[in-house]
Amino acid sequence: MSTTSQKHRDFVGEPMGDKPVTALSGIGDTLGRKLEEQGFDKASVVLGQFLLLKKDTDMFSDWLKDASGANSRQADSCAQCLREWCDAFL
Amino acid sequence: MPFEEDPAYLSKSRLKSDLVAHNVALPPAASKKEIYVELHLKHIDQRNAADFSSDEEDLVPDVADREEDPDHTEIPDPRTLTDDELKAALLHHGVKAGPIVGTTRAVYEKKLKKLLQPDESGKVNGAEKAVVYSDSEEEEEEEVEEEEQKADGEEEVEESVCTESEKQTAEQTDLAKQESSQAKLPYQNGSFPYLQCFMPSSRLHARPTSNRESKSKWNSRNAVKSSERSRSRCKEIPVGISRASSVDQHSGLGSGPPQEPMKDIIKEIFPETGTTPTGIHATRRRPIKGAAQRPVQYGYPATPVSPATLERREMERRRVPIRIQILVFLIMACILYFIYVNLEDICVVLLDSLNQGFDSEDGYSLQAETEDTQVVSGQD
Repeated sequence: MSTTSQKHRDFVGEPMGDKPVTALSGIGDTLGRKLEEQGFDKASVVLGQFLLLKKDTDMFSDWLKDASGANSRQADSCAQCLREWCDAFL
Repeated sequence: MPFEEDPAYLSKSRLKSDLVAHNVALPPAASKKEIYVELHLKHIDQRNAADFSSDEEDLVPDVADREEDPDHTEIPDPRTLTDDELKAALLHHGVKAGPIVGTTRAVYEKKLKKLLQPDESGKVNGAEKAVVYSDSEEEEEEEVEEEEQKADGEEEVEESVCTESEKQTAEQTDLAKQESSQAKLPYQNGSFPYLQCFMPSSRLHARPTSNRESKSKWNSRNAVKSSERSRSRCKEIPVGISRASSVDQHSGLGSGPPQEPMKDIIKEIFPETGTTPTGIHATRRRPIKGAAQRPVQYGYPATPVSPATLERREMERRRVPIRIQILVFLIMACILYFIYVNLEDICVVLLDSLNQGFDSEDGYSLQAETEDTQVVSGQD
């Protein structure tokens, strides 16, 4: 049921290091730019926000929708991507 | 307080708590300490001051106005709450909030608003229904039917359910079971403060069939969300419910038969799940631990290693170790130096050996060689 995209698998497969925000699943150029404007210039900063919200995917989705104008699918995808990354590496 | 209280020396949190203790409305969150100090001085320290009558007149209406609001609505606009209060309010609704920081505050405020709105409408109506429900069954069933018509009626029902549960669990649980699967407010369920007495809606369904379609859609949408939240909270409840339900079955209401097929279907689809208060079962997705460790499908390595590291490892395996390389280099250098220094001697040795080797050969070549040696030695 979980059809993950290649981007998702690429992100979750290794430590994120210094990857940009656009490396996150669900975050493309437009959303990436909006996030960077708010100061979230690296994927790790977005991870920080996710952790601040206690790894709650729903709340993170809400936040992402507010912060970047993402739609539900994109926000959920990003949240899921981060959650899996945390499960693997955190 | 025995010590001299100079508000400027008190910490901000202390000032806040003092203000709250004296029923003074707090300024918006993240206000400067001076504002707190001012308020503190105004409201609290005036007790000690001699001339507070004039100030008091100004203050009293303000304080009174502000105090009315909290009484009227339990919690004011989330934006006016401090971080701590926001956190406490969320906790009151059963939401464990993380740190309330600049970026997270907006999210939590929204969440609190969402929790407040349905809550209030639910609580107000619930109180009314509770009174009504103390009457006989017939009246209750009528009430239930009326309720079912409302789209938002479920919260109220939950409320009334709670208050009622003690009175009529036995008879209602049959009806409840049937509709519990259909009608559920997952959102409220998780945040509902009276969870302990929650019975799967001893009343959620006077009408098994009529509202099924509309509610089932809603349920499917919310089922996943709700299941995660309610699952942990409702674990203790099924025990009580199953006991009650067994009692119900024996009571044998007239509406028994139509509800049986519903129950069976649910059991068929989800055979191994236990009963939940609302009858909704949604399996929680197992967290994918070690997504990098997915074995066969994607062929991820056991340890998270970047491709660059892998390449480097391969290279290093094939290379000659660097120390050996340096050693070889030094040896070669020594040899070359040795040759350079002793060139003539070496040449002589070599030529002698060649002469011996070519004794039987053409004398001309020998001569040429000897001439060479003479030239070489002549150079020295």
